[in-house]
Amino acid sequence: MRFRFAIPLLSMLAVVVLPFALPATAATSTQAPAFRLPDRDGGTVALDSLAAKVVLIDFWASWCEPCRKSFPWLSSLYQRYGSKGLVIVAINLDKSREPAESFLSKYPAPFRVAFDPAGKTAEQFHVRAMPTSFVLDDHRTILLTHPGFDPKKTDAIETLVREACEK
Amino acid sequence: MQLDSAPRPAPVRARLRAAACLLLASSIPGARAAAAATTQFDASGLLYGELDRAKVVEPTLRVMRLLDNGQSFSAGLVLDAITGASPSGAMPTGRAMTTTSASGTVTNHAPGEIPTSPFSDFRGALELGWHQPLGGIVATDLVTHYSREKDYQSIGGTAALSLDLMQRLTSVTVGGGYDYDNVFPVNGVPVGLSPVVAGTGGPPDEGPTNASAVTAAAATGGTSAAVKQVPSAVVGVSRILTRRWMVSLNASRIVQRGYLTEPYKIVSVIDPDSGTTVGSITEQRPTTRDRRDLLANSVYHFGTGVFYSSYRYYWDDWGVRSHTIDLKYRRDLAEETFFQPHVRLYAQTAADFFRFGVVQGEPLPTYASSDYRLGPLRSVTLGGTYGFHVPDYPGELTVRAEYILQWGDGHPSDAVGVQRTLDLMPPLHIATVMVGYTRTF
Amino acid sequence: MMTRSRVLWLLLLTLLAPLVGGCAATSVKPWDRDLLAQKSMRFVPLPMESAIDQHIYFSKEGSMGGQEAGGGGCGCN
Repeated sequence: MRFRFAIPLLSMLAVVVLPFALPATAATSTQAPAFRLPDRDGGTVALDSLAAKVVLIDFWASWCEPCRKSFPWLSSLYQRYGSKGLVIVAINLDKSREPAESFLSKYPAPFRVAFDPAGKTAEQFHVRAMPTSFVLDDHRTILLTHPGFDPKKTDAIETLVREACEK
Repeated sequence: MQLDSAPRPAPVRARLRAAACLLLASSIPGARAAAAATTQFDASGLLYGELDRAKVVEPTLRVMRLLDNGQSFSAGLVLDAITGASPSGAMPTGRAMTTTSASGTVTNHAPGEIPTSPFSDFRGALELGWHQPLGGIVATDLVTHYSREKDYQSIGGTAALSLDLMQRLTSVTVGGGYDYDNVFPVNGVPVGLSPVVAGTGGPPDEGPTNASAVTAAAATGGTSAAVKQVPSAVVGVSRILTRRWMVSLNASRIVQRGYLTEPYKIVSVIDPDSGTTVGSITEQRPTTRDRRDLLANSVYHFGTGVFYSSYRYYWDDWGVRSHTIDLKYRRDLAEETFFQPHVRLYAQTAADFFRFGVVQGEPLPTYASSDYRLGPLRSVTLGGTYGFHVPDYPGELTVRAEYILQWGDGHPSDAVGVQRTLDLMPPLHIATVMVGYTRTF
Repeated sequence: MMTRSRVLWLLLLTLLAPLVGGCAATSVKPWDRDLLAQKSMRFVPLPMESAIDQHIYFSKEGSMGGQEAGGGGCGCN
C-alpha cells in the first residue's frame, strides 16, 4: 500500500490544526472584574472590600485533578505571606456545595473560599482552564494569569507575591 | 467467479478527498495532569465456551507506569489456551460422517451436524507501549507487539500522533501500523483448490461420506511456511459537544498481502444431483485484502448513568460488508459500584467467493472458501458487567457474563439435493465470563 | 464516478466539518466539565474488556476491529 496521500494529508492536517494550536495571546494588563460572592460562613466576599497588598484568586472545583496539588501549595503560600499582605480567595465552581465541602475536608483551606456555582464570575475573568489563578495588585490590576496548575510556574508566582508584600 | 485483483490507480481528486478526510477521531483521552508518578495494574481472566465447539481460557496482565511529566510506559501479556472443535468447512450430508484432522484425530458427526475438526493451541502475546506528551497539545504513542502460537507468529507495531485542540474539546489522532506475520501450518502450506486425501469412515455400503481436513501437504506439493504483511492506518476525531455528551468518528484501513488462506479448512465437492459430499479440496483465498471501516461513537451522561453507543460500518474488497451496533448503559449504584448491561448486534454479507461447497463437474472457481466466518453471518450479544470494590481493600473489580448467538442464512437458493433439507449455518451458542481487577498504586 | 467508498468519504467530510470547527464562545466552559471528568466518561471506559471483545469478535467474524491501527496477531481472521 503506497501512502501517496501522506504529503497532502500532512499539509491539510497542518492547515486545519495550526489556527487552533497557536497559543492564545498573553493577557495584557487589565483590571480584574469586581465580584461579590457567598462564602463558607453565610457571609459574602467582595473583591473591592479586600484590604490587601496582593490578591490571589484561584478558580477551582472538587472534580479537578490538579486542584489536589494546587491546594496544599496555596495553603503553604498563605501561611507564609498571609500576615504580610497576601489575601487568597479560592472561588469554587462546583454545581452544588456538597462535593466542594467534601474536597475541603480532605484538602483544608486556611484562606477564604467563595462559591460561584453559575460560573458568572469565572466567565467575567475569562477562565479557560481548570484551575486558573490570577495574581492582582492592590489596584485590582491583573499581574499574572496561571491557567492550569504547573508546579514549575509556582516560583514565578511566589516571587511576585513576595515583591508585592515587601512594598 | 473472477475477482479483479489488480488495483486501479485512484484519480487525484479522490486522493485529495481521502487526505482531507483522514482527519478523524481519537480514542486517546485528553492529557491529564498527573499528580505524581503512579503505577496501574490490570489483570483479567476470560472463560469462553462455544456449545459443542471451542473453549478458551485467557488470562491477561497489564502494568502501566505513569510519570508526573505525563509520560507513560506499559507492558501487557495475554495467554490463550484454546481447545475444542472448529468447523472444517465441509458440508453436512444428512448422514453420519467422520472427520480426520490435520494431526490425524478422527471425529464422528451425527447426521446433519456441521463437520468439525478438533484442535488445541496455546498462544502468547506480549505488548509494550510508550506514551509521550510533547508540549500541552501534542502526544505520541508507540506500541510494539509480538505473538506466537503453534503455527503462527506475528510481529508488529503502531505509532500514533494525537492533538488536543480548543481547550481539549477536540482531539485528532492519526496513526499507522505494520504487522509482519509468519504462517507455518502443521503439515505445511497446502496448494489451493487441490484434492484432499480422503480418509475412510461411515458405513461401508454408503460409499465415501466423510470429509477430511488437510492431512498431507506433501501430497498437494505446498511449501512449509508463508508470509503475510499488513500495513494499516487509522484516523479519528473526538469532540465534546455538551457538558454531558462527547462523540467521535474514526476511519481505518488495513491492507493485507500474502498468504491469507486458511490452511486447515476445506471445501466440499458436492454431487450435482444428490448434494452429498464426494470429495474435498483445499481452500483458496486472494492474496490481498483491502479492508476499511468507519466507526462512530457516542458517550452521554444522563446524571444517574452513562450511555455508550457505537456504530461501525465495515467493507473490504472480498465483498464482505458489515454493520455493528453496540450499546451499553452504565448505571452508577453507589461509590465505585455500577451495573452495565450490554447489547451488540452484528450482520455481515458473505465474501464473493464464499460458497457452500463446489459442485462436481463444474469448472473450479479462482477462489473458494466455506469458512462460515466469511459467510452471511448474524450475531447478537447480550450481557452485563457488574463493577464493585471490596470495602477496606484496594482496587476495583468487574465481573461480566455474556451470551452470544451467532447464525447465518444456511438455506442458500443454489443449495443442491440433500443440502436443501439441511441448515448449512446452524446457530452457535457462546457464553463468556470475565473477571477483571484494577489497582492504582 | 460515485462508488460506495467515495460516497462514504463525502459523508465523512460533511460529518467532520462541525466536529473540527465550532467556536470557543459556544463550546463547553472549563467549569462545566464536572461530568466529563468522571472515569466513566471515556470512549473506552473498560479497556481490558474492550480488548478482549475485539479479540473475540475479530476471531469469530469477517470484519476487523474498529479502533486499532494494527492487524490481528493471531491470524484468526
